[in-house]
Amino acid sequence: MALEGLRVIDLTQVMAGPFCSMLLADMGAEVIKVEPLEGEPTRHERQLAPGVSGSFLAVNRSKRGMAVDLKAKEGAAILRRLAAGADVLVENYRPGAARRLGLDYESLRAVNPRLIHCSISGFGQTGPYAQRGGFDLIAQGMSGIMSATGNEGGPPVKVGVPVTDLGAGLFAVFGILCALRARRLTGRGQQVDTSLFEAGLALSAWEATEYWYTGDLPRPLGTAHRLNAPYQAFRASDGHFTVGAANNKLWAQFAALLGLKPLLADPRFAKPAERLANRAALEKLIEEVTVTRPRAHWLAQLEAAGIPAGPIYSIPEALADPQAEARGMTQQYDYPGAGRVKALGNPVKLSRTPARPAAPPPALGQDNAAILAELGYSAQEIRQLKSSRVIA
Amino acid sequence: MKALHGLRVIDLTQAMAAPFCSMNLADMGADVIKVEPPGEGESMRQLGRAQQNGHSGTFMTMNRNKRSLAVDLKQPEGVALVRRLAASADVFVQNYRPGAAKRLGVDYESLRARNPRLVYCAISGFGETGPYAPRGGYDLIAQGMSGVMSVTGEEGGAPAKSGLPLADLAAGLFGAYGILCALEHRDRTGEGQLVDTSLLEAAMALTVWESTEYWSTGRTPQALGSAHRLWAPYQALRASDGWFTVGAGSDRLFASLCALLGREELSQDARFASPPARAANRRALIAQIEPVTALKPRAHWLEALARAGVPAGPINNYAEALSDPQALARDMVVDLLHRGAGAIHALGVPVKLSETPGAVERPAPLLGEHSAEILRELCYSDMEEKALRAKGVIQ
Repeated sequence: MALEGLRVIDLTQVMAGPFCSMLLADMGAEVIKVEPLEGEPTRHERQLAPGVSGSFLAVNRSKRGMAVDLKAKEGAAILRRLAAGADVLVENYRPGAARRLGLDYESLRAVNPRLIHCSISGFGQTGPYAQRGGFDLIAQGMSGIMSATGNEGGPPVKVGVPVTDLGAGLFAVFGILCALRARRLTGRGQQVDTSLFEAGLALSAWEATEYWYTGDLPRPLGTAHRLNAPYQAFRASDGHFTVGAANNKLWAQFAALLGLKPLLADPRFAKPAERLANRAALEKLIEEVTVTRPRAHWLAQLEAAGIPAGPIYSIPEALADPQAEARGMTQQYDYPGAGRVKALGNPVKLSRTPARPAAPPPALGQDNAAILAELGYSAQEIRQLKSSRVIA
Repeated sequence: MKALHGLRVIDLTQAMAAPFCSMNLADMGADVIKVEPPGEGESMRQLGRAQQNGHSGTFMTMNRNKRSLAVDLKQPEGVALVRRLAASADVFVQNYRPGAAKRLGVDYESLRARNPRLVYCAISGFGETGPYAPRGGYDLIAQGMSGVMSVTGEEGGAPAKSGLPLADLAAGLFGAYGILCALEHRDRTGEGQLVDTSLLEAAMALTVWESTEYWSTGRTPQALGSAHRLWAPYQALRASDGWFTVGAGSDRLFASLCALLGREELSQDARFASPPARAANRRALIAQIEPVTALKPRAHWLEALARAGVPAGPINNYAEALSDPQALARDMVVDLLHRGAGAIHALGVPVKLSETPGAVERPAPLLGEHSAEILRELCYSDMEEKALRAKGVIQ
């Protein structure tokens, strides 16, 4: 596997941090999730089996698990010993909390100058909002994403998936892997610092461009595109489907397929800029035709013509689609007490070192004894730590 | 020095997903060579609404920090040139429809014959394999087919997609992740490999929470406006002059919110006493809260919530977001001078590395701006260069 031999300490919870370290685990890193004695909070959401919930399973596969009280002196000492032999540490506490535990970059690099220390927070480790708590919702609102999502004139809508959490997790993975390459050159580790808010802004590349270059504020457009038309969902007799006829050639083919060839000569729709400016009129003319037949009819026709188009799937339909299946997007494993559990596959296919098949997330503290023994703790010391409630 | 110093990336990409992938590598110091057709260049150079002094904003956004080589891949000398370039490179990125790279002679098999260390990344609509591999795919199509659209928008309202092209952007980020993982393997073993990802898979990978919801409850996740599947209150609330967001899902934050609203009794109400109870009775809960929040303006509530330590925020438009003090303090807006367009803004690097920080240093290149210097690096003679120019192979 690509990241074989990489040891990652994972002090994260909920979504952004666990997603980041899960992507490292998928590619072969040894990820040790260190949780408080009661387990991370998402374990206690809607339970599938004692001590495990769907939201915990979703982003913690293929990790090892420890449960350590980091507020106890001996607990912090365990963590420092672990960090001394690790390549990467990921945390998503509020800024300042890692320092109070002695687990911030400055403290740990004294123990291991090669350590890459990654912090994911709501707003970043610096700046006026550094101390604020941040959730995906807050970051979607403040980065502008919500102002450009939904239907014009409707109530605020966020992107249905937690895009700033997941985006921050992805940028963090990217930063960690870049820092690993830098370490090859310099021999030293460094701090990687990103946030939900910055991820939301970085994903707004298109919207920022529209604002800076046209002066117009990007608005919610339902399913339509800021700079292209027709490129949106259209109504069929039994629901909606999507079509992206984003250039002159595809537009000509789409118009022909709809029996709307005269529109090609209509000055309102002759060029991309005009189709965009007259999108509402164009949509009306197209929908008058598309509502007359069912989705399946249009999708078959569009596929035959080579025009990008597709259904609007529910989550179960998406997971059952033959392409998703062919690309291994659904995996399964057994979790004690919960039985057969399904998980999403890794979206990146590496030809020589593919992602590992999903293995179960850890039970709370399941690898305490094994990892402490690897660190040189004796059986007696481990018993002692357990009886004094430093480890679970 | 930057983290990806010394890494050479050949970029045969267009539009958004793959240019975003290589842009992130360029931000971290990789030498990214954008290979474009002579004449018009990459399709995004065509002028639309977003332009300045005859230069396309969308092109400039996705191609900063890169060099440009204009070469005609329809002529054999052009293909030979790109192959020579690939022989010297670490990474090759393309987002043609599957099959097109082979027709051009720049597919993985052809290039690895001369450079087995090459990491070759293909980003497509649906992936290089499977029944839909040959289909064209756009962000919109992937958002629809991944289930993302089905969970976005108002409850029971018209379809809405994520306002930003998240399948494109995520495919670009997953591509960069795959490339960097493959480079780790190459540095250990000397072996390059194919990195193959797609808009559909990237968008599906972002449904971790929703797919798990379906698998663990059997229920189909629906669009919830601004609300959360498992936590409440966690959504936009109405003030007297607009909306603001609040995330107070935990018992502690919920109690703080109730106190601040002067509705302490709500945290004692059995319907709202625990996170699962609040999630199940979300509508009833909002019906209790909103009449209070609607009495005063956003600024009042945001200040009170900040004081109480309850996560909350405005719903900024892009003018507000891009001038927010935190965005500026974190260098998320960068000023550049483009040779043709003049003064432009660009987004900054969202992940901060303390020792080898990334940076936005150079605006996007003009078409073929670096053709001559790249040919010299490949040891083409002046005479050869002149001949290639005369034949229109390079520009």
